[in-house]
Parts: sequence; C-alpha cells; structure tokens
Amino acid sequence: MDAFLHQVLAGLATGGIYASLALALVMIYQATHLVNFAQGEMAMFATYFAWSLINAGVPYWPAFLLTVVFAFVLGVVIERVIIRPVENSPVLAVVVVFIALLVILNSVAGWIYSYTIKSFPSPFPAEPIFGKYMSAHEGGAIGVTLVVLLLLYAFFRFTPLGLALRAAAQNPESARLVGIRVGWMLALGWGLAAAVGGVAGMMVAPIVYLDPNMMGGVLLYAFAAALVGGIDNPAGAVFGGFLVGVLENVLGAFVIGNELKLAVALVLIIGVLVVKPSGFFGKVFVTRV
Amino acid sequence: MAAFLEVSNLHAAYGPTRVLHGIGFAMEEGTITALLGANGAGKTTTLRALCGMVKTQGQVSFAGERLDGKATEDVVRKGIAHVPDGRGTFVNLSTEENLRLGAYTRKDSDAVEVDLERVYGYFPRLKERREQQAGTLSGGEQQMLAVSRALMLRPRLMLLDEPSFGLAPLIVWELFEILRAVNEKEKVSMLVVEQNAAMALELADHAYVIETGRVVLSGTADEIRKNDAVRRSYLGY
Amino acid sequence: MSRRQLTMLAIVLLAACALPFLVSDYRTFQFTLALVYAIALLGLNLLTGYNGQISLGHGAFYAIGAYCAAILMDQYGLPYWATLPIAAVVCLVAGFLFGLPALRLEGLYLALATFALGVSLPALLKYHHLEKWTGGVQGIVINKPEAPFGLPINADQWLYFFTLAVAVLMFVLAWNLLRGRIGRAMVAIRDQHIAAEAMGVNTAMVKSLAFGVSAMYTGVAGALGAIAIQYVAPDSFNFFLSIVFLVGIVVGGLASISGAIYGALFIQFVPNIADEISRAAPWAIFGIFLLGFVYLMPMGVAGAVRMAVARLSRMAQNRQHST
Repeated sequence: MDAFLHQVLAGLATGGIYASLALALVMIYQATHLVNFAQGEMAMFATYFAWSLINAGVPYWPAFLLTVVFAFVLGVVIERVIIRPVENSPVLAVVVVFIALLVILNSVAGWIYSYTIKSFPSPFPAEPIFGKYMSAHEGGAIGVTLVVLLLLYAFFRFTPLGLALRAAAQNPESARLVGIRVGWMLALGWGLAAAVGGVAGMMVAPIVYLDPNMMGGVLLYAFAAALVGGIDNPAGAVFGGFLVGVLENVLGAFVIGNELKLAVALVLIIGVLVVKPSGFFGKVFVTRV
Repeated sequence: MAAFLEVSNLHAAYGPTRVLHGIGFAMEEGTITALLGANGAGKTTTLRALCGMVKTQGQVSFAGERLDGKATEDVVRKGIAHVPDGRGTFVNLSTEENLRLGAYTRKDSDAVEVDLERVYGYFPRLKERREQQAGTLSGGEQQMLAVSRALMLRPRLMLLDEPSFGLAPLIVWELFEILRAVNEKEKVSMLVVEQNAAMALELADHAYVIETGRVVLSGTADEIRKNDAVRRSYLGY
Repeated sequence: MSRRQLTMLAIVLLAACALPFLVSDYRTFQFTLALVYAIALLGLNLLTGYNGQISLGHGAFYAIGAYCAAILMDQYGLPYWATLPIAAVVCLVAGFLFGLPALRLEGLYLALATFALGVSLPALLKYHHLEKWTGGVQGIVINKPEAPFGLPINADQWLYFFTLAVAVLMFVLAWNLLRGRIGRAMVAIRDQHIAAEAMGVNTAMVKSLAFGVSAMYTGVAGALGAIAIQYVAPDSFNFFLSIVFLVGIVVGGLASISGAIYGALFIQFVPNIADEISRAAPWAIFGIFLLGFVYLMPMGVAGAVRMAVARLSRMAQNRQHST
C-alpha cells in the first residue's frame, strides 16, 4: 500500500509537468489547429537558458522568472518569424516546419551546451515531506504547476486581453471585426505556451537531468495527456496530464515494468486517436466537403 | 463638400473571380442607406471591401480619410462597426463577453459600462441571458447580439449585412425599429445590405440597387420604392 | 518513358556499375548505404508523397526489417539473401496492420500517432523480456557476406552490387505500381479524399495497402542496412532516424521516384562532411535545409531538376525552330 501511494504521489508530480506541457499544446492547437511538435524542444531550450543563468551565479527564483520571460519572447519570435509564413500551408509543410524547429533547437542546444548530461537544481529542500511518500521537489512541482494553471485561468477568464485571445482563437474573422489584432494574439498565445513549457522544463530537469534530448519522452506523455483530455480542451489537458502521470508510474511499477513506460504513452495516443479522437472532454469536428 | 462615406470605382475579386466592377456610391452623415440587389450581386462583397476583408482596387474615403488598403483592425478603429452576415457571434463566449469585445478598442471604460446598460435597455432579452453561452441563443437573439456588439463600439458608421436573414417578420420589424431609434437618437449612420427590399426601403433614407457588381439605380427610398423595374424585380408586384 | 529518358537511365546504371571499381572500399560502402536509404525513402515517399499520409515514425519499420535480418541470420543461421523476402513480408503485414487504425487519422493526427511510434520504439527494443531475441541494449552482431561463386570482387563490392540489384528491382516495381490503377487511386486519395471515395475508390483498402507497401520498402532497406553495417542496436533506430527519412524526401522531392535518390545522397553524405564541424552540425544543417526547402523549394531537388530539364528542352526546341 505504501509503495502504491508513493507511486501515485510521484505520478501526480510528474503528472503536473505533463499537464503544463499538455496545456501549452492545447493552447496552440486551440488558436491555430496545429500540433506543436517542437513544444518539448522549446521547453528544453528555455531550461538551458535557466541553467546558464544559475551557473553564472543568479539565484534560483530570479533565474526562474527571467527564464519565463525568455521563453515567452522565444515563443513570440518563433510564431512571427517561422510559423507565420506557413500558417495556411498544407499540413505536410506545417509538420515539416515544426520538425525542422525541433531539430534546430535540439542541435543549437547541443552545440552551445554540449551533449554531456548536466544536473539542474531544484529550489525545494532535499528532505521528503508527507512522511516518506513524496520528495519536497515532487510536492513543489505540483505546487508550481497549480500556481501556473491558476494564473493562466485567471488571465483568460478575467482580463480583457485574455478575452481577446480567446476570441481570436475561436473566431479570427469576427475578432478582426471588433478590432483585435489577430496576428499578435497568435504570437501572444505562442509566447504564453512557450512560457508554460519553460516552467515545465525547469520542474522536470532536476528529475531527468538536463540534456538536449530530455523532453522527448515528456513530450510524448504530454501528447497522450492532451489527446485523452480532448486536444481543444484546456481543462481536459490538465486532467489528462495528472491521469497520465499516475498511470505511467503505477503501471510502470506494478504491471509492465519501467522499460515499457513509454509504451503506455504510445498505446494511449493510438487508442484515443482510434477510439475517441475528441478525447474525453473535447468536441467532435465534422469536415466540410 | 465631400460625402461622409464615398466609394468610387471600387473593384474587388475573390482570387480570379471578379465580383465588383467599379462600384460607386456615397452616403451623408446621419442617414440610413440601403444596398439592394439579388443574391450574388456583390452586396456582401461591398461591405467586406469597406472593411478591408477582401482585396480591392479603387477608392474608399470615410470622413475625409482614405480607407482602401487598410487592414480590418484599423478600419474598426476609425469608428466603423460591421455586423457580418451569419452574425459572427463568438459562440463559445457568454453574451456579455461578446458585448464587451465590441468595445475592445475603446479606452473610456466608464462610458463602456454606460453603453452596456443602454444596449441592455434596447434588448432586455440579452440582459436576461447575459451569462449564457452565446451559441445557445436563438437566431433572433444572436442578431440582436450582433447589432449590440456593433453598438458597443460607439460607431460613427454601422455596416449591416442582411440583418433580416432567417428571422420572423415580427422580429425584423422590432429590430428595424430599434435601428431607426439608434440612428435618430445617437446619430449613427447605417449602410444596410438587404435582400428583403420592402423592409429595407421602409427603414432607409436612400437606396442603391446593385446588379453584378455595379450600381444600376440610385435615389431616395421613396423614389426607389416607386420605381417600376424595382417593383417588379425586387418587390414582387 | 521516352527514348531520351531511357538513355539517361542506362547511362546512370552503367555509371553505378562502374563505381565500385573506381573508388575506395569505404566509399563503396557509403554508396551501398546511400542505395539502402534510397529504398527506404522510396517507401516513405510512396506513403507520404504519393498517398498523402504523413509518417514521422518510419524509422520503426526500418528497425523491424533490420532486426528481422539480424535475428534470422544470428539465431537461425539463414543466409543473408533469404532474410530479405521474410523482412519484406513481416513489414508488409506490420505496415498494413498499423495502417488499419490509422485509416481514421488525417494529417496532424496521423503525424502524431507515427511520431509516438517513432519515439517509443527504442524503448520497446530494449525491453528485457525480449532480450534473448533482440540482444537488448547491446544489440546483435552479424557476419558480412562474401561474394558468391568465387567472383573476383571483394565483400564490399559484392554487397554494393547486391544492394544495387535489389534497389533496381524495387524501383521498377514502384514505378509500375504508381503507373497503374492503384497508383492513380493513391494520388486521387491524397488530393481529394472525399471525391475519390465518392467515385468508388476503396480508400480504406488503398490507404492500408499504401501503408503496408511503404513499410515493406523501408523494412527491406532496414534488412539491407543491417547486413551492410553488420550490427543492429536499439539506439540506432531512435526518433531521429525517422526525421532523417523525412529530411530525405523533403530535400529529394515529394512524389518523385528520382527524389528518393537525390534525398538518399543528401542524407548519406551531408553528415559525413558536417561531422567535421561539430556533432550538432549535421542536425542543424538538416533543420535549416528542411526550412529552406519548405519555404523556397517545396518540390525538392527532383522538382528543380525537372524544371531545369524542361527549360533546357524548351530552349533547344526554340533553337531548332528558329534555324
């Protein structure tokens, strides 16, 4: 029972990270109907930036905040420069551009920081909390995730800019008719998604260690989470994230062994896509002939 | 004196298909002008051209400024509110959120609150449904919402694209009454595109008839209504 | 095919046959790998270029073919040439089976599903319960085949000719397939899915078949690759292999048979040169080329060649007419 509880709590911690990344994916999907395959690498790149700051002597939380800003700017720039030219291109062109972005970010990180694995600090103390069920970092990660999610929710729900972003994502033409600059809203959405991804990266790095390929598996889980919750449903993505985190840990520890944990994501992704593509909470789309 | 809204020699095309062939007309401030014509004549395209939603050649000037070539978001900031065909409702947002979006470009937040109450005064049904998801409103209510959203801009000119479409005659009559009131009390000029010529001519001061992307007839609403050709083609008697 | 095209083809084949005798053994080996990639890229192109189904996980089929060959040679003592048809059948079935649920997925969703396949495959290959078959993390080592019948060529050269023969066979088969009814159906589905269905094309069958054939090609390539490199291990078949294939067809030219060759030469030789600069350089170059080709040359090298040839022949015709 002890072990099970430990796995569930650890699963919630990583689940929070998946939830953040899944939320970033859903935000971009809602606005553009595009799946950002490069989300993981953007988060990784931001995390390396944080590492540089910390390495240069900047204390953790200021570095954290600076990195969030850096990730935001990175997201805006990527949307305006790289994504905008292909926004209306056929699907294959868009997918190729995303993959190119993934590859470029990965190789630039490898070039600047080399491929040797680095450790990344956690701002939380080393002692376990809640008895021995959860490390402080895991608890802290859940806390940070919840704070980020709450801030985002408040932004979208209660601020005029958040309202404008939602409007631009749902109905760009009508949004223009009320004077919203839809192009910049998209860039803003990308910036926010990138910032959320950066937070996820900084929370996961102490666990999986910092290396250019660290987000590959995490991204897969985030995709699974986003699909389970409904690719166009932010709340669903969050729920999906926690669910996938717990499933991954519990199945990995007790059923299929740690090596096949990634296969859980694969099965979930294909299963959801085939059986219920709109996820548990999403809407069904009908194609126009 | 230059007209309030002046369109001259406007051409517009969707890809290779030319829709407007040098259309030209003018409007005075404070008036209601109707654009009549059959399906496909180019009425909707004219409104879209005014808002920069379609590529154009030719001249559009509004209160002395050139509008042609400007992006939609900038046209809106000049005080032009477009109620598109299909209403353009943000279906997943609440009624009140839709209304507040109408005032997105305004900086005078106190006046916005006043306008919100005034709009609820015109359309009490919207106030009842203020927290409701806009997509669940009836057709008539969504049209009221669309018009109200445009009013929230405190526009100088309102463009209305087929406001009577799909609505019961009684609702249309109600709506047009309110439009007439808004025009008289708040001096909002209106350019109304309609297939329902009879009702449009009741509402408007002036009218233009468009066929295949050109103006073929113009005059006061009275003159147009009495015109034989119009009676036969558009009024059915 | 026109007389001129046949002549060009004959010249290219002749040059290809002469190659091993003109360059070093290591170069020959590199060209063998380029041929292997060409077959793999042809497979991916059949699916993505001609049939419009995006796959970000074709590395998985390459891996299945490779492991087939390795296991059959290592554990069952099969001769290398016998592993090819078996790998082909296994991958045909695997691809077809994957294609069935994929039928309902379009564009981005299919990309996502194949992305998941590509990312998770190495983990599956390392699974310790399968270790006695797959050799786990260490992989399997196999022997290099020698030239048969005591021919006066060395192993590298023999392998090159063997691969060349298989490549020619597979290219001819593909060319035949694309010219026929199924090929036209594939393209119709890519361009106007709903219209094709309305016109009576059995889209489900054609799409699944396309997946199966595409996987078969890439699987055969994988088997050849394993034989050439004499080694398979899970980490050689990670997600980046699938990306390499994507780079190959984008650069080479989508929906083009010759594109597979241009792309294969690109992905085989660019890393060799770029590796000198730094470990990260090949990938940076791949990424930049991907972007460049999408923005500037979406028809790939094959498309550019086609345009150049068309322009040259127009110029020649003009000169003929004016004299």
